Amino acid sequence: MNRRNLLKLASLSAIPGALWTARAALAQAANETIMFGCPVPMSGAFAANGKYADLGMKLAIEQYGKVIDRPLAYTLLDTEGKPATAVRKMQETAQQKNARFFAGGILSSESLAMGKEAEKFGGVFITTAGADEITGKDCNKATFRWSVPTFGAIEQTVRPLIDTLPKAKRWYTITPQYVFGDGLLSAAKNIFKEKGIEHVGNSYHSLAEKEFSGYLTNAMAARPDVLLILNFGSQSSDTLRQAVSFGMKNNVTILVAWASGLEQFEALGADLCEGVYFGAQYWHGIDSPLNRELVKTCQDKFKTNPNYSFAGSYICTKIMIDAIAAAKSAEPAKVIAAMEGMKYEGLTGPEVIRAEDHQVLKNYYLLKGRAKAQMKDKDDYAEIVSSGQSFLPVDQTGCKL
Amino acid sequence: MNVYLLQVINGIGVGMLYFLLAVGLSIIFGLLRFVNFAHGAFYLLGAYFCFQAIAWGLNFWLALLIVPFVVGALAWLIEKVLLRYVYAQAHEFHILVTVGLALVIQELVIVIWGPLGDNVATPAILQGVVMWGDFIYPKYRLFVIGFTSVFACLLWWLLEGTRLGSAVRAGSESTEMVSLLGINVFRVFSLVFALGAATAALAGVLAAPIRGVEPFMGIEALGIAFVIVVVGGMGSFSGALVGGLLIGIVQSIMSTLWPEGARLMIYVAMAAVLLLRPHGLLGRG
Repeated sequence: MNRRNLLKLASLSAIPGALWTARAALAQAANETIMFGCPVPMSGAFAANGKYADLGMKLAIEQYGKVIDRPLAYTLLDTEGKPATAVRKMQETAQQKNARFFAGGILSSESLAMGKEAEKFGGVFITTAGADEITGKDCNKATFRWSVPTFGAIEQTVRPLIDTLPKAKRWYTITPQYVFGDGLLSAAKNIFKEKGIEHVGNSYHSLAEKEFSGYLTNAMAARPDVLLILNFGSQSSDTLRQAVSFGMKNNVTILVAWASGLEQFEALGADLCEGVYFGAQYWHGIDSPLNRELVKTCQDKFKTNPNYSFAGSYICTKIMIDAIAAAKSAEPAKVIAAMEGMKYEGLTGPEVIRAEDHQVLKNYYLLKGRAKAQMKDKDDYAEIVSSGQSFLPVDQTGCKL
Repeated sequence: MNVYLLQVINGIGVGMLYFLLAVGLSIIFGLLRFVNFAHGAFYLLGAYFCFQAIAWGLNFWLALLIVPFVVGALAWLIEKVLLRYVYAQAHEFHILVTVGLALVIQELVIVIWGPLGDNVATPAILQGVVMWGDFIYPKYRLFVIGFTSVFACLLWWLLEGTRLGSAVRAGSESTEMVSLLGINVFRVFSLVFALGAATAALAGVLAAPIRGVEPFMGIEALGIAFVIVVVGGMGSFSGALVGGLLIGIVQSIMSTLWPEGARLMIYVAMAAVLLLRPHGLLGRG
């Protein structure tokens, strides 16, 4: 089964999913079920990410089945990638289904809004979104984040690439104008300043943009050595595709700082990705015990490898379930206390949740697209060039819990 | 070469694709007074049929030739069995039916091809760039400009120089009069609807190597097509051309002047045209 068929099956699985929810609702009446929420975009430009995230949470819930002798269930919330919709649906789910544990949010804007909401109704929210503010100045007691924030993503991609390409002194950036893009850009500018890199230009663009030729014309006119693409999902695919069509791969090194993982490589194809650098939160080729287990489970169950959206949702759900087990309670305050400082064997190796800002400390990866002829299997699109952890010290994050 | 000159050239490339996207919507409205919210879905089908044709081993050129006819035939069938029954209804019904149709097509695309995007390779002969001093431009985009220009001439000739074109233009003025002259006006309606859908599909095929394919591309395309039709004037062939080029160039130049507002300026340009010429630049009063 390929990944597309898996997603088609996922659509059909809405029926058993509904039954699962119905069963959960009945059990809820008996006040037994611990209800989780998966608030992710299921429509719009980021729908594919949301659909994988749904599968990731579903797998974690099914694997555990129950914790502290109480059955687990989850409900899916289509945020449409909009903060207002995300918050409204989260409120409804908390009120009507008594859900207190939420893992989701693909976009930083929706995650920031949901984190605040979770704190209001006394829930727990864990996200994979990138903006520094989530575990920075806008942090709160209810919100956790698994993914490396924008600061670490830039540190682990731009810095090693500067070291690899010491002669590449002129960098051009293309940035989406919202909190996530600004976070990446600001972190990149700090490194440029420190390393004596000339930032020859930046093109901001809107979150709805699909046509990048104008921005690429600006970039080419600035004659950069490196094109740093700071947008996400289908926008970074469109930017890269159009940059390659403008011939930029021939004389410019391209770095996509925040790739969405395997699904992006599939959508672009090996020829486009060859020689391009990508930053990644997760890659199915990571050599860690839990990741090997997840890859095997996915291959056995779905005949495919897990991607970032799937893995992120899976590990976020797993973290909360493990914390419930450790707390021996499904009371959010006790679960939060168990999560703070929790050390566990994660998908990227040993991971720890920093108690002071609720940030998971984990690796970020710099990948390089392989030539089609060098791929060992159909998903072997990239090699891991380097990996490491970079996090602002707590006192510099602006987080005060 | 000055970056603004580069942006104008790039804007012409973007604008010609926009023209192709919008012209079908415009001529359908001109003749049928029918607001077709499913227009973006035909663009979507064009792109995906091109992707599928190439996946089946056909080459891009064959897809460019065949796909618009296939989508046109499909649109002709849809017009026969569904849309002609709502022509006489108020615009609200047109919107309801065509939005529903667009959603059905979009969901079918997701069921068949999945929610993930895909890449459509640029034909080998058009890969790479043309370099002329500082001017660097993808060969494929130059081809799109040339191809769309030739197609625009052919379409203009079809509408202005043939009996079918005369019937279409006369029908847009008075369908009753055309019927009285013995022309089967419903057949003309069907043909024009199919032609409009085929041009959208052609835009989808041409856009696929530039934008890739993904199931939500039709919605974005529909938004742009409406802007161009409003700017150029509803029902006007030349309005679609002028509107497409204007919007393409505005978007491209604003990418340099005010990059974060480039997208916004498309709508500002539309608002400005509406204020100065409420029927569009070349629309009928």
